[in-house]
Amino acid sequence: MQPNTQTVSSVTPLMVCTDIEPIAAHDNRKTVGEISVDNPRMSCRNVNVFYGEKQAINRVNLDIGRHEVIAMIGPSGCGKSTFLRCLNRMNDTIDSCRVTGEILLDNQNIYDKTLDVVPLRAQVGMVFQKPNPFPKSIYENVAYGPRIHGLSSSKSDLDIIVESSLHRAGLWNEVKDRLDQPGTGLSGGQQQRLCIARTIAVSPEVILMDEPCSALDPIATAKIEELIDELREEYTIAIVTHSMQQAARISQRTAYFHLGDLIEVGETNQIFTNPQHKLTEDYITGRFG
Amino acid sequence: MNKMTEGHTVKRFDDEMVFLHRLVLEIGSLAQNQLKRAVQTLNDKDPSAARDVISRDQELNDLDVQADEEFINLIVKRQPMAKDLREIITISKAVSDLERVGDEARKIAQLTIHIYDTDSSPPNKQVLRDINTMAAFVGDMLKSSLIAFDELDAPKALDVIRLDSELEEEYKSALRRLTTFVMEDSRAIGHMVDVVLGLRALERIGGHAKNIAGYVIFLITGSDVRHESVECIEKQII
Repeated sequence: MQPNTQTVSSVTPLMVCTDIEPIAAHDNRKTVGEISVDNPRMSCRNVNVFYGEKQAINRVNLDIGRHEVIAMIGPSGCGKSTFLRCLNRMNDTIDSCRVTGEILLDNQNIYDKTLDVVPLRAQVGMVFQKPNPFPKSIYENVAYGPRIHGLSSSKSDLDIIVESSLHRAGLWNEVKDRLDQPGTGLSGGQQQRLCIARTIAVSPEVILMDEPCSALDPIATAKIEELIDELREEYTIAIVTHSMQQAARISQRTAYFHLGDLIEVGETNQIFTNPQHKLTEDYITGRFG
Repeated sequence: MNKMTEGHTVKRFDDEMVFLHRLVLEIGSLAQNQLKRAVQTLNDKDPSAARDVISRDQELNDLDVQADEEFINLIVKRQPMAKDLREIITISKAVSDLERVGDEARKIAQLTIHIYDTDSSPPNKQVLRDINTMAAFVGDMLKSSLIAFDELDAPKALDVIRLDSELEEEYKSALRRLTTFVMEDSRAIGHMVDVVLGLRALERIGGHAKNIAGYVIFLITGSDVRHESVECIEKQII
């Protein structure tokens, strides 16, 4: 398959990074560690992302394995969220954004011109930093996706999907008696688990999480982390986090980004006890960033 | 401050790491001094000084407890990662080993009391000669391991690990010589058990120095070399 060099354009600029160095300043950096895994769920090769003239991601190569949690860490502006958003083409929504390279999901290039992004975003779901339930009932928040994707043929089918999704998100027992109440009335942690239930209701293969616990208290965070560990049995999870302890607790592999480069990737235990690259070492020990 | 402890964004973290680093050196210095003084009491035939050595072991125990409190506080406050985490683990283990060096030095001091504070006649000088030889040997090993820790000197740490094999040979030779003494003069058997225990204490001090050297290599390279051969460790640090 040839690398795709399609320009992504769309309507509203959501985010423009302004503090990214141009490619020339660091184009010789090579990722330390093993970027490949056996039988990957997603495979990224030579991925570049530009916001206008600025390059935010520089030739990133990385595989994401099946049933693994991979954590992406790095200082603000390093490109980790930008890279995460490439994995389900969320960057399409940014007007000035251009993505080159190849990103495969089960050997299918997700930047293929003929590919419909709507089912892609069901296959590769996303959970955001701030819980964003729809202004609808708890039931409707979860039922909305399966309904528009035609995953249920009857009301009873939909009920089963809603109940099982809420169960898998660890929320069922807390909301089963108030499914008709607004999702926005739940606590922050419950709202985030509702968003996870909404994501898994459409049977994704991959779940992307962009700092999903940064707005939550420690107990709600612990519940989400426990949930992530359970979800790993069924899904592949890529998570961006600023908490090194969280990355160490929940992921099997960790990728460290710096100024748009993937500096190092490896087993999480190795990254946090004996990183091989000085930039990784300096970041995780709090020497810069 | 060295390249391991400096440079955190939070400067207080640097200070805390430097404090712990210096605490290890302080405990190491005290442990070396205890060993030296314990052996001196034997040479001086001075049970009273030996009792001082034994009572001074409490200082080492107190510093060991203080160091543990400092590790716990630092882990709670800073959640160290990577080389900081390795340094904390190294310091924690090294302090335990140094505290045990103090315990072994106390055993040498007790040997002085057993030999010179009883009515029985002391053993001849030849029997005690190996104690002095081995004490000098393990004293050097201990000193080198602490220098290797302070200067992050992996080759020096490897030298200490190499010396441990030599120490084992020295220990076995000393035991053989003691056996010969007993065979030649069975009346000397009374103090032989004490002397064997003294030699054993010195051999253990050498073992603790070797352990500290192994932690230093772990600190520098990230590899746990405690149960590796010298050849394998050489490859790790090249």
